[in-house]
Amino acid sequence: MAQAIPVVCAILVLNFLLLRLAPGDAASVLAGEAGSATPEYMAELRQRFGLDQPLLVQLLYYVKNMAALDLGFSFRYNMPVLTLIVNRLGPTLLLMGVTLVLSVGAGVTLGILAASRAGSWRDTVISILALVSYATPLFWIGLMLVVVFSLKLDWLPTSGMETVAAFYQGSDRVLDIARHLILPAVTLSLFYMALYTRLMRAAMLEQAGMDYVTTARAKGLSEGRITLAHIVRNAVLPVVTVAGVQLGGLLGGSIVVESVFAWPGLGLLAFQALFARDFNLLLGIFFLSASLVVVVNLGVDLLYTFLDPRIQV
Amino acid sequence: MLRAPAVRVAVLAALTGVLCLPMTAAAQKRGGTLVVLVQPEPPTLASYISTSGPIGQVATKVYEGLLEYDFNLKPIPGLAESWKIGADGKTITFVLQKGVRFHDGKPFTSADVKFSVLDVLRKVHPRGAATFREVTEIETPDEHTVVFKLATPAPYMMMALSGYESPMLPKHLFEGTDVKASKYANSPIGTGPFKFVEWQRGQFMRFDRNPDYWRKGRPYLDRIVARFIADSATRTAAIEKGEAHMGGFAAIPWSDVKTLAKLPQFEATTKGYEMSSPIVQLDFNTRRPPFDNLKSRQAVAYAVNRKFVIDNVWFGWGKPATGPISSNFAPLGFYTNEVKSYNVPNGIEIANKLLDEAGLKRGADGVRAEIVHDLTPYGEEWQRYGEYVQQALAEIGIKATLRYEDVPTWLKRLYTDYDFQLSSNWIQGLADPVIGVHRLYHGKQIRPGTVFVNETGWSSPKADELMDQATVEVNPKKRAALYKEFQKIVVDGSPLVWVHELQFVTVYNKQFKDLIVSPLGLYASFDRAYSDK
Repeated sequence: MAQAIPVVCAILVLNFLLLRLAPGDAASVLAGEAGSATPEYMAELRQRFGLDQPLLVQLLYYVKNMAALDLGFSFRYNMPVLTLIVNRLGPTLLLMGVTLVLSVGAGVTLGILAASRAGSWRDTVISILALVSYATPLFWIGLMLVVVFSLKLDWLPTSGMETVAAFYQGSDRVLDIARHLILPAVTLSLFYMALYTRLMRAAMLEQAGMDYVTTARAKGLSEGRITLAHIVRNAVLPVVTVAGVQLGGLLGGSIVVESVFAWPGLGLLAFQALFARDFNLLLGIFFLSASLVVVVNLGVDLLYTFLDPRIQV
Repeated sequence: MLRAPAVRVAVLAALTGVLCLPMTAAAQKRGGTLVVLVQPEPPTLASYISTSGPIGQVATKVYEGLLEYDFNLKPIPGLAESWKIGADGKTITFVLQKGVRFHDGKPFTSADVKFSVLDVLRKVHPRGAATFREVTEIETPDEHTVVFKLATPAPYMMMALSGYESPMLPKHLFEGTDVKASKYANSPIGTGPFKFVEWQRGQFMRFDRNPDYWRKGRPYLDRIVARFIADSATRTAAIEKGEAHMGGFAAIPWSDVKTLAKLPQFEATTKGYEMSSPIVQLDFNTRRPPFDNLKSRQAVAYAVNRKFVIDNVWFGWGKPATGPISSNFAPLGFYTNEVKSYNVPNGIEIANKLLDEAGLKRGADGVRAEIVHDLTPYGEEWQRYGEYVQQALAEIGIKATLRYEDVPTWLKRLYTDYDFQLSSNWIQGLADPVIGVHRLYHGKQIRPGTVFVNETGWSSPKADELMDQATVEVNPKKRAALYKEFQKIVVDGSPLVWVHELQFVTVYNKQFKDLIVSPLGLYASFDRAYSDK
């Protein structure tokens, strides 16, 4: 815990300096989008954004603001960075949270099913499914799902988070959002699910050969009980580690899925901010993500001790 | 004889205008929601600070201008019901519409016009300083009369008074505040047919019908929603499924336009871009070898096969460009094709000969020179275009390496550091050559750090003089003659290659009518659009 604060501070300064290495600035992007601009206009923009100050002064300002937990102002959007991020937080957590639950749930289940009959046709089918989901590019899966389920079958909407022409209220709106959530969540889950399936299967097979399993069998325990109470509990540890990493990246969203399904998440916002050289916004997102990673790491460590009492924090 | 097609176009356009108006006036229905795809999502709605295309597509539903324009590029009444230009061209009197109110209920008056032009547009608008540079004073003798006093005549100013180019803002909400940091940048209040309601960032913007709009009975639509979808394939799918109804500029990729247009419920049109007039170019850096030499520049101009580029890179949308001024200006008489033509069948042969004369001999490997070719960072068609140019240059012995960077890096390379040899580019001719064309060729427009001006470093005293004269010439015929000479000189000097006039395509659901009714196209207010369902 004592390390967490210096780590976050170091990340702040490093992010700031790294971003300044990118050529071009927010003023030239704004002017570029405008299609034309006078030199006075450009100078004025740079002065307003504080880009005319020396780098060190800019850094000091930034550190001072961050010390007061002020994420700053996005000149591009003419809005406080915090408001921009908070607006995207809900959709991001919704998509990534559902994905996490779906992928861990399905991945662990498939991994157990595959490992418990290793070498059988069931194992082969699951392994091939995992391999294909893992190897297929996300945007292609996304587009194919749109073509099949939206255009051909007409079951689900192509994109967005809600039906914009309708402006539903109350429970209708919740249902509407759920319908819009299905395709992006499934697309993103397939990738992670494949990862967890493979991890779980490998860990299960490894644990199945351990001495304690032989002991349990000698004690006369049923195969089902051995699998669930002994093997799974040990095999799930690597899955928890990877899920922790996924959870840490939660705030990053998914640029590919967000752009294919027009889901208003933080990933696309960060991506656009980079190309617009909107550094205040980008640094704000980086700061939140870094903080989340630190917190989640702590949480995962605590979860280990619960799952495996032999591990000490 | 050569000018006959231009005349025919003008006559046809005039006829269509006359015939269409009464036919469509009968059948409009009230109601309906139009969903427009706008790409990319605009950063703000401050059209008085940025002329960025996506901002223009949405802000123009809220903010209006003094004038609108017809397809002959002639001004027609907007917020000004009539206007008079003094004999010397230095006094312009506008009479404003009566009974116009902002969305907050306050009346729109001459004071708003004066404030918008002098305190906002001239100070913070990217082109405002140039558009209104000759304005010495604006008088407001009464609430409905505005008199612009000019130092010298400024004929181009009359072309730049649309709601897109020069939006009229409410003085009472902006006065005394920092205009650049105004909260109305994200919640605009204007006089237009639609009121801003909400903006869910990353998703959509919503505009509802303004029931108190000054054109009685309009608008016909209940609502306009602008949707933002980052992926082009998904945009096409959303249109196909009917979740969105319209997409213009490059929102629907050229590769998908033909597929959609084949479906019975969709219409694709290239109308509505007559005041944008983009030209696809290859820009030389005339400071550096090999393109400091006129003959090597002309050689590249000869080597590019315009038809091939249009048919294969832009899927047939476009027409060969002849010079710095787009043929869209033909109705005003500014355009001519009586210039040196580089678009000839034996172009490669001539190009090779010119390069021999320029002293660039082929080496043992057949290569005369090696260059880096920068690509416009705006999407995949620009990469395909670059690959074609690479092959065309190889045919004349120039070995080109392609470089694709992101937008800020590319802008800095071209317009600040001048660290390039040859770059693809596209530039809009805009509403008037003074605003859109002069900036690329005038010696005084070589301004490091300013984007989309003269980065080639080429200029000619004669061309500068012609542009200066055309800037103040009020007689359209004389002005046209100046531009014709200007085009000859610039085309001879070949500071860049004019490849083709880019044709944007608007795809829309036929359920909606009267969407594209003026050369402003998607930048118009949509007060006449209606749903026929």
